[in-house]
Amino acid sequence: MERLLDLALSAILLAGLYATMAYGLGLIYGTLRVVNLAHGGVIMAGAYLGWTLHEGFGVDPYLTIPVVAVAAFGLGVLMYQLLVRRLPRGPAGGPASLLLLFGVWLVLRNIAYLIFTGNDQTIRTAYSSRSLAILGSHVSVNRLVVLGIAVVIAVAMHVLLKHTQLGRAIRAVAQNADSCTLVGIDVNRIYTLTFGIGSALAGVAGVLLATLFSFSPNAGASELLKSFVVVVLGGLGSVFGISVAALIVATAEVFAILILPSYLTTAVGFLLLVLVLILRPGGLFGYRVLS
Amino acid sequence: MATNFRSSLVVLSLAALASVGACKPKAAKQEDRTEILIGATLPLTGAEARIGGFFKEGYELAFDEVNQAGGLEVGGKKLPVKLSLNDDTSTQATAVSLADKLINRDKVDFLLGTYSTSLVEAQSTVAEQNKVPYVNGGGAASEIYKRGYKYIFGALSPVELLGGTLMSWIDEQQQAGKLGKPAKIALLWENTAHGKDFRKGVSDFVAKSAGGYELVIDESFELNGKDFSALLGKVKAAGAEIFLADAHLPDYITLHRQYIDAGLCHKVVSYGARGSEKAAIEALGSENASYVLSGVWWSAQLADSLPLAKKFVDAFKAKFGGRSPEWFQALGYESARALFTAIKQAGSLDREAVRAKLATLKMESLLPGGTLEFPADKGNEVQNLFVVQQNLPNQNAPIIYPKDVAKVAGIAPNPRCASTPTPTPTP
Repeated sequence: MERLLDLALSAILLAGLYATMAYGLGLIYGTLRVVNLAHGGVIMAGAYLGWTLHEGFGVDPYLTIPVVAVAAFGLGVLMYQLLVRRLPRGPAGGPASLLLLFGVWLVLRNIAYLIFTGNDQTIRTAYSSRSLAILGSHVSVNRLVVLGIAVVIAVAMHVLLKHTQLGRAIRAVAQNADSCTLVGIDVNRIYTLTFGIGSALAGVAGVLLATLFSFSPNAGASELLKSFVVVVLGGLGSVFGISVAALIVATAEVFAILILPSYLTTAVGFLLLVLVLILRPGGLFGYRVLS
Repeated sequence: MATNFRSSLVVLSLAALASVGACKPKAAKQEDRTEILIGATLPLTGAEARIGGFFKEGYELAFDEVNQAGGLEVGGKKLPVKLSLNDDTSTQATAVSLADKLINRDKVDFLLGTYSTSLVEAQSTVAEQNKVPYVNGGGAASEIYKRGYKYIFGALSPVELLGGTLMSWIDEQQQAGKLGKPAKIALLWENTAHGKDFRKGVSDFVAKSAGGYELVIDESFELNGKDFSALLGKVKAAGAEIFLADAHLPDYITLHRQYIDAGLCHKVVSYGARGSEKAAIEALGSENASYVLSGVWWSAQLADSLPLAKKFVDAFKAKFGGRSPEWFQALGYESARALFTAIKQAGSLDREAVRAKLATLKMESLLPGGTLEFPADKGNEVQNLFVVQQNLPNQNAPIIYPKDVAKVAGIAPNPRCASTPTPTPTP
C-alpha cells in the first residue's frame, strides 16, 4: 500500500512537469497548426537564461520566471515575424514549417554550445535537496513547486482563453482564420502573440526543468518528444486535455515499473501515443480548439 | 569499327591503370622523412567538448615532451612528432570520416584515439580496415575489444574491472563485520555497453562470493533519464544495504538528487566512475555527496606512490598554470606515450612493425599498478586496476583502495545513514 501511494505521488508530480512542458506546444499547434519543433530549443534556452540569472546575479530560480517568460515571448515573436509568417498558412506550410523550426532548434543549440560549452549545468539552491513528508512518503519541495506552477499555468491559460478579449480572438482564429479577417480581427497579430505566449510557456518549462535536472545544450529533445505525446494524447489544442493527458502518461509510465523493467517504462508513453493515433486519432478529448 | 572499338578499350584500360598507379599514395622513404605525423580526432565541440579538451591537453603535453627531447629516434635519426588534430564534434559520423581523411588524404603514420565508447568503436573500424595502429584512452567498453581487431590498443581498463574493484573493497568491509552477510545489493546500470560491463563485474563477484551477497535489485535505466522516482521506489522497497549504480555524470546528478529527495540512505553508495567530480559535488552539495565511492582509472594522488605519475603531474601543472590533471588528461598522455614507445622500439615508421611492438609492449606507466601492456587475450585492452576514492565532507576524495596506494581507510557504514534510517523491505 505504501509503495502504491509512493507511485501515485510520483505520477502526480511527474504529470505537473509533463503538462508544463506541453502547454506551449499545444497552444501553438491549436492556433497556427504548426508543430513547433523549436519548442525543445526554447526550453533549453529558458533553462540557460534561468541558470545565468541565478549564477550571475544570485536570483532565486523561481523569481527568474517572469524575466525568462518575457525573453522567451520576445524570441517567439521574432521567430514568428522573421520566419514562420513567411510560410503558407495551414497544411500547405506543414512540411516547410517542420524543417524551418527544426533548423531554428539546431541554431539555438549551437549558439548555446558556443556560449556555454557542452558542460552539464545545474541550478542548486538552499532548498534543492529539501523534501517534505507527505503520508509517509518523501516529496521534493522543488517538485511540489513545479506541480503548483503547472496548475497555475493551466488556470491562467483557461482564464486567458475563456475570459479575455485576446483569448476569444485566439479561439476564433484557431477555428477559422479567414472568417476572422472578414470581421476585422488582425490574424497576423494574433498568430504573433500566440507564438510568443507558446514560447514563453516553453521558456518557463525550461527554468522548471533546470531546477530539477542537469542540462546541456543537448537538452530539449526528450522534452519535445514527451510534450508531443501529451499534446496528441490530450487532443490537439485542448488545455484541459493536455493536463489530463499529462496525468495519464505519467501514471502509465510510473506504474509500469510494477510489471516492466525500468528502461522500458519511458516507452509506455509512446505506446499510448500509437494506440491513440490508431483508435482515436483526434486524441482522447478530441480537437477542442483551445477549450 | 570493331577493331577501333577494341583499340579504344585497350587505350582506356591502360590509361585507367596508369591513373591508378598515379593515385597510389607515395609514402616518403623513411630516410627522407623530416617528421612523424600522428593523426587524432577529439570531441572539441558538442556534448563531450569538455572531456575532449582534457584529452587534448594530455596529447599536447606528451608531444611537447618528445619534441623538447629532440624527437623520436627512428632509423638512426631523431624526428619530431607532429599531431594533426581534428574536431569530431562528438558525433560518430564525423569521427569516422575524419579518420578516413587523416589516413587517406593527410597520410598520417599512426592514429591516436578519440573519446567515448561509441566514437572509438566506430572510428577504430576505419583504422582496422586501413591497417593503421590506433591507440586510445577513451573507449573502455569491452565490446570494442572483442571484435578480433589487431590494430586497436586501449589504455582504459574495462568497466567490468571497476565493478570488481568496488566489490573487493566492499568485501573487506564485510569481512570486518561492517556489513551484514549476506549483504543485499541494489544494482542499477545504464542501458549501454558501459553499464552492462559494470553489471557483469558486480554480478560475477556476487556469483563467486558463495552466498556473501544477494542482488535484490538488478535493473537497467535509460541514458539521460529524467524521472527515477519509480525505480528508486523499487530500491526502497527492496531493503538493500548496498546501493551500486553505473551512470554518466548527468544521470548521476539527477539520480542522486532524487535518491536524496526520496530519503534513501545505504551503508555503501557508489555510482561507478562518478562521484568525485567537482561539478557533481557543487550540483548536489557536499553534504549529500559525502561518503559516495567512485572508482577511477587514474588519480593525481597516485603521484605520491608512482614516480611516473609524479613526473606527469608536475609537468602538467607547469604547463597548465598549476591546475591538477584528472584521469582524462592522464589517459591521453599515456596513450600517446605508449605509441611513442612502440615507434622507438620498432625504430621504424612501418605500421606493421609498430603494431607488433605495441602488441608486445610492457612499459613503466603512471597508471595504477605501474606498468602498461596490451594483453592479446583481452583484445589489446589494458587490465590495470582502478583506484577507489571516497568523498569526504571536506570535499576531498582520497584514495581508499587498493591498500598500497590508499591515503586513508575508507568509511563504512555510511555515517549519513545515522540520521536517515536504512530502508526496510516493504511487501
